[in-house]
Amino acid sequence: MASATTYKDRQLLAVIGDEDSVTGLLLAGIGHVTEGAGGQRNFLVVDAKTETSQIEQAFQNFTQERKDIAVLLINQHVAERIRHSLDSFADPFPAVLEIPSKDHPYDPEKDSVLKRVRRLFGE
Amino acid sequence: MEGLFFNVNGGYVEGIVRGYRNSLLSGQNYNNLTQCETIDDVKLQLGPAYGDFLAALPPNPSTSALAGKMTDKMVSEFRYLIAQSVGSTAKFLEYLTYGYMIDNIALLITGTLHERDTRELLERCHPLGWFETLPVLCVATNIEELYNSVLIETPLAAYFKGSLSHQDLDELNIEIVRNTLYKNYLEDFYNFVNSHPDFAGPTQEVMSEILQFEADRRSINITLNSFGTELSKQERRKLYPEFGNLYPEGSLMLSRAEDVEGVALAVSAVADYKNFFDAVGLSQGGGGLGGMGGGPADGKSLEDLFYQKEMEMSKVLFTRQFTPAVVYGWMKLKEQEIRNVTWISECIAQNQKERIGNFISVF
Amino acid sequence: MSGAVGREPVFPTRQSLGLMKSKLKGAETGHSLLKRKSEALTKRFREITRRIDEAKQKMGRVMQIAAFSLAEVSYAVGGDIGYQVQESAKQARFRVRAKQENVSGVFLPQFESYTQEGVNDFALTGLGKGGQQIQRCRETYARAVETLVELASLQTAFLILDEVIKVVNRRVNAIEHVIIPRTENTIKYINSELDELDREEFYRLKKVSGKKQRDNAAADAEILAARQKAAAEEAGKSPAAEEPGAADVLGEQEDNDVIF
Repeated sequence: MASATTYKDRQLLAVIGDEDSVTGLLLAGIGHVTEGAGGQRNFLVVDAKTETSQIEQAFQNFTQERKDIAVLLINQHVAERIRHSLDSFADPFPAVLEIPSKDHPYDPEKDSVLKRVRRLFGE
Repeated sequence: MEGLFFNVNGGYVEGIVRGYRNSLLSGQNYNNLTQCETIDDVKLQLGPAYGDFLAALPPNPSTSALAGKMTDKMVSEFRYLIAQSVGSTAKFLEYLTYGYMIDNIALLITGTLHERDTRELLERCHPLGWFETLPVLCVATNIEELYNSVLIETPLAAYFKGSLSHQDLDELNIEIVRNTLYKNYLEDFYNFVNSHPDFAGPTQEVMSEILQFEADRRSINITLNSFGTELSKQERRKLYPEFGNLYPEGSLMLSRAEDVEGVALAVSAVADYKNFFDAVGLSQGGGGLGGMGGGPADGKSLEDLFYQKEMEMSKVLFTRQFTPAVVYGWMKLKEQEIRNVTWISECIAQNQKERIGNFISVF
Repeated sequence: MSGAVGREPVFPTRQSLGLMKSKLKGAETGHSLLKRKSEALTKRFREITRRIDEAKQKMGRVMQIAAFSLAEVSYAVGGDIGYQVQESAKQARFRVRAKQENVSGVFLPQFESYTQEGVNDFALTGLGKGGQQIQRCRETYARAVETLVELASLQTAFLILDEVIKVVNRRVNAIEHVIIPRTENTIKYINSELDELDREEFYRLKKVSGKKQRDNAAADAEILAARQKAAAEEAGKSPAAEEPGAADVLGEQEDNDVIF
């Protein structure tokens, strides 16, 4: 069970996704750059040139290192590339949510959480 | 008399553009496009008009890739035109690219301010706003260096000088910088077509009209979009181009407007704009900013109406002869065409067919 | 059965019997309580699972609408605003706040979205053109993100509940299959040991009392003999009536000993 202190200061949303998804979500106002030199962004734009290791690193950063992120949104097709990290990540905080992108409609079959749901009910 | 010697220098370019105009998509083409089920179908339909440019696309390309290829074609056609033109026509065509340059410079300023690697930004720049010395700007690591190189290296120096200092680039919102530049650009362009002896006659006439419209449109948009932001009235006023149908009385009223009704009142002197505002129901006061977003029943927003008007003006340009203004008209029509196709393919890709008719076709 | 579960390492005393009995009672109460908790949680869990499924479908639709509004923006602006938006982002306007909801003693976090007033990084974006579409797009996306946040709460609740239910079920099973049988075994063991002790004690007492009886009888006989002798010596009177009474008293003491 999570104790109160671990999520009281989690206020931000983070996003890993393609340019359109990130732009839209930033327009909604979730974008945050930490103050001071070398300010950290809470979003990562993934395109065809982005290395998987970069995604991996951002994922670790958002889920493990940063303590101010409550929800991590990740495009499903990006999540596919680091599926093993997602599957092995079981902490309740931050909540990792797979979202559809413009060019990749949502496929419930691939969702890590939904897979667990299915497994629990023996489907 | 004024057309007598035009063809010596500008005839070929004008002829080519008229040819280009004929390859613009017609209402029939759009009808076919809206019937498409997949992006591949769209690609197929565009085949005759865009040919080789779409061949490199993978099956079911993304809409942005499609738009990119279409822009490529426009750019290559325009480059051909500019290569073929001489003298005042060449100068005129150069002026057309300045608008894109402003966007590119704004992009680089943004990148430099946030200490990004500006070299990566080069590929994001609009190819029409590309000039040889653009990569030089990427060398600048801070905003002052960038400012100096812009002054030295770019054709836009005149638009910076006098209205923006390098501190301004640092402090002002990039949108204000961009709009200040654009204002200076429009004024300069207007001045250019009105003062150059080669353009006396049809060019001056039609370009004045269309630039005035552009100036008014910017003023109105800036005013509408500035409501609810920290942009003060004084700053806002500085962004209005100092010519146009609304200038000076309308601009003054715009600068004082505090809500949509004020804007409607300010533009009521010009019949066209008044009609637009009536059409979208803003002048009644019932609409408000929210209503403007939602748009009226027929789904047209104020911007749509402005675009419509612009397209009609561009189309009418082709009734004139002996003028490079047709290039301007063709560029605007082509840009709109790319937007239309992007819109249609976006609607198809995202299964939003009910809005697919929301494009502007004038042929 | 007793071999698999074993028993607690206690001395078979009456005190530990009492302890075990209260332990058994506690375990039974605990078992029924936990069972009920587990049922309540599972009920909740199933409900959440169903809602997740629904919300995920809804998310698909909402995100599509939002993506479409972005298409409207790029139509109106006639260009790409992505880079500019990324660079202008500074302060999060859309934030979430975590609240707790208590479901049968389990604290489930609930994310609640709120907008930080006065922060607007994109107020001037699209000033020249497309500003209205951008505003509309922002609203659409803000609504979409609200749905996402809702889904995130559900999902977190799902993960936590999953964990808690596992723990609770483990406890229920442990109580049901280990603690209760073991305690019962222990009680049985203590009882049998105590019975054994009792029987030994009874036998011992019997033995003692038998011996005492014999001794008494011998003593009595001696006293009797002495008295008879005395009586014979003194007079011809007989005090024989007292003797059976004394045997009765002895028998009673013996009974008492067994009970006590």
